[in-house]
Amino acid sequence: MSKAHRETIFVEQADIIEHIAYEGGQYVMRVNAPEIAQHAKAGQFAHISCDPMLAMRRPISIMRVSHQHGWVDFLYKAIGRGTKLLATRKAGEQISIMGPIGNPFKIDPDRPRALLIGGGVGMPPMVFLAETLKASSGNKPLAILGSEVPFPFTRRPSTIMVPGMPDGVIAGMPLLEDWNIPCRLASLQGYAGCFEGYVTDLARHWLKALSEEQRNEVIIYSCGPHPMLEAVAKLASEYNLPCQVSLEEFMACAVGGCAGCVVEVKTEHGPVMKRVCVDGPVFNAEQVF
Amino acid sequence: MNDTDKVMLATDFCGMAFQSPIVLLSGCVGFGEEYTRVKGFSNRDVGAVCLKGTTLESRLGNKPHRIYETPMGMLNAIGLQNPGGEYVVNDILPKLDFEETRFIANLAGSTIEDYVALARIFNDSPIDAMEINISCPNVKQGGMAFGNNPEMSARVVAACRAVTDKPIITKLSPNQTDIAENAYRCIEAGTDGFAVINTLMGMAIDIENRSPIIGNNQGGLSGPAIKPIALLKVHQVYQVCREHAIPIIGQGGISTAEDAIEFLIAGASAIGIGTALFYDPLVSSKINAGIIDYLKRNDMTNVAELTGSLRLNG
Ligand SMILES: Cc1cc2nc3c(=O)[nH]c(=O)nc-3n(C[C@H](O)[C@H](O)[C@H](O)COP(=O)(O)O)c2cc1C
Ligand code: FES
Repeated sequence: MSKAHRETIFVEQADIIEHIAYEGGQYVMRVNAPEIAQHAKAGQFAHISCDPMLAMRRPISIMRVSHQHGWVDFLYKAIGRGTKLLATRKAGEQISIMGPIGNPFKIDPDRPRALLIGGGVGMPPMVFLAETLKASSGNKPLAILGSEVPFPFTRRPSTIMVPGMPDGVIAGMPLLEDWNIPCRLASLQGYAGCFEGYVTDLARHWLKALSEEQRNEVIIYSCGPHPMLEAVAKLASEYNLPCQVSLEEFMACAVGGCAGCVVEVKTEHGPVMKRVCVDGPVFNAEQVF
Repeated sequence: MNDTDKVMLATDFCGMAFQSPIVLLSGCVGFGEEYTRVKGFSNRDVGAVCLKGTTLESRLGNKPHRIYETPMGMLNAIGLQNPGGEYVVNDILPKLDFEETRFIANLAGSTIEDYVALARIFNDSPIDAMEINISCPNVKQGGMAFGNNPEMSARVVAACRAVTDKPIITKLSPNQTDIAENAYRCIEAGTDGFAVINTLMGMAIDIENRSPIIGNNQGGLSGPAIKPIALLKVHQVYQVCREHAIPIIGQGGISTAEDAIEFLIAGASAIGIGTALFYDPLVSSKINAGIIDYLKRNDMTNVAELTGSLRLNG
């Protein structure tokens, strides 16, 4: 009897090490959770008790982990009751965190040109994936991040050339640049150095500038609001590129027990309902769009 | 937990040896293995695990959103997503470890024939007991048409009774006028035990688009918000059960040992945990410890001594 799934999720009483507020109700929280830090992979999330007065936890994507120091970083936006309460928790307080949960992104060695497209609070899994990809040589990833509120970091002019980028589109995310991963930003808000338009339009500029051979090496990973993912999926199918998307849904158990978090997935046997928590959150785009 | 502690928690339920009065509730723990993903969780901490509501044919379930948090509780309208009775018996039960705990099937149907067919399927399986779910509020024919009518409830129970000797636990709906009358009729029809209560019906509305948040428009309310209602229903059903020695799994909003003890005092022999697991997957061992502590403080030797020990005000 296979019990491979057993004991893969840890419940940790985590100290909040740092909790920084950014414009637009965005927060970056660093907690000490060594088991989760040790086991988490890009694309996975944690289920967080925001406040003891709430009956349910909130699923939040993991942005970064440190194996060495045992910390885990989250970026979230305070929008609902849970995340608004979470935002009031201060460094030094403890919160209960369950994780890591879900299937991570699958990395394809035959497709070294990973295009990472993240929108809003969909950026964290892209940051995690970028950090993972940086570790192995031969990868030539590009991250395109979009936001309609000020980015939760100080934008910096990129020092890495990216073919096909329109003039003036030079702003990037310092963290990624420090890892030597090129990054470009998109927004409709007219932020300096950012592409004024959708992430998918900027991605199209890049894809067009690649040779046929180079395009065959591209794989798209994406996380963000539903309409954005839909556009990303469309772009991928236009160029016939493999595409993995990370989905969100309300969750109760986050361990596969309640079937509360499902998404309709196309299969050869017709539609089936898959649980975003443990069958996802990463799905092949063509199965869900 | 040492051996005396184990003896304190061990209890009989419909002839089944429960190692703890805790039952993990249907719909909250999938088909028995899902929570074992969590380190520190063990099916050995509980007396029984109720599997997800199972119908004769497989069901896709409802459209999203299926769940939504509400004050001290949550709404759900899963719509009985399940792979069908035959699949559960042939593909899922063989993978369960019956050494760890007792497993109870949860049967749902839209006709009496459905329930009977399911009872036959599970009768020829290693399942320990069958819970007859005549109280699912989330599918049109989810059994609540039976559950809210004592006559119909009794007919479902009697029909299942005729085809199985395994323990039958009838899961009663709180969405009905006279739950005690219903319980009485089900006892006459041959039920061995009760589960009290299933979820209450509720709604939540997104005020921006003026639509219900739950895909199914309405859903079942569970969690601490329903606890006082559930407790009173257990008390009422216990008045009927007491003289027939029919045990009750009390449930609805239990999240601490104190909650569990309240239900036991009100008349439950076992207590169910559903929604509380979502917040704390390791809650069972805490509740076990809290019950043991309470029994010791009150010079009691076994959890069964608590059942129905309520002292009503004069
Ligand atoms: C997500 C969810 C799914 C449920 N599915 C079922 C089901 O399939 N069959 C059933 O009899 N009860 C089902 N229930 C009801 C629970 O078994 C339980 O009776 C109820 O939630 C009250 O207990 P609680 O407040 O501890 O959750 C479900 C409850 C929830 C929250
Ligand atoms: S949240 Fe319970 S199955 Fe995914």
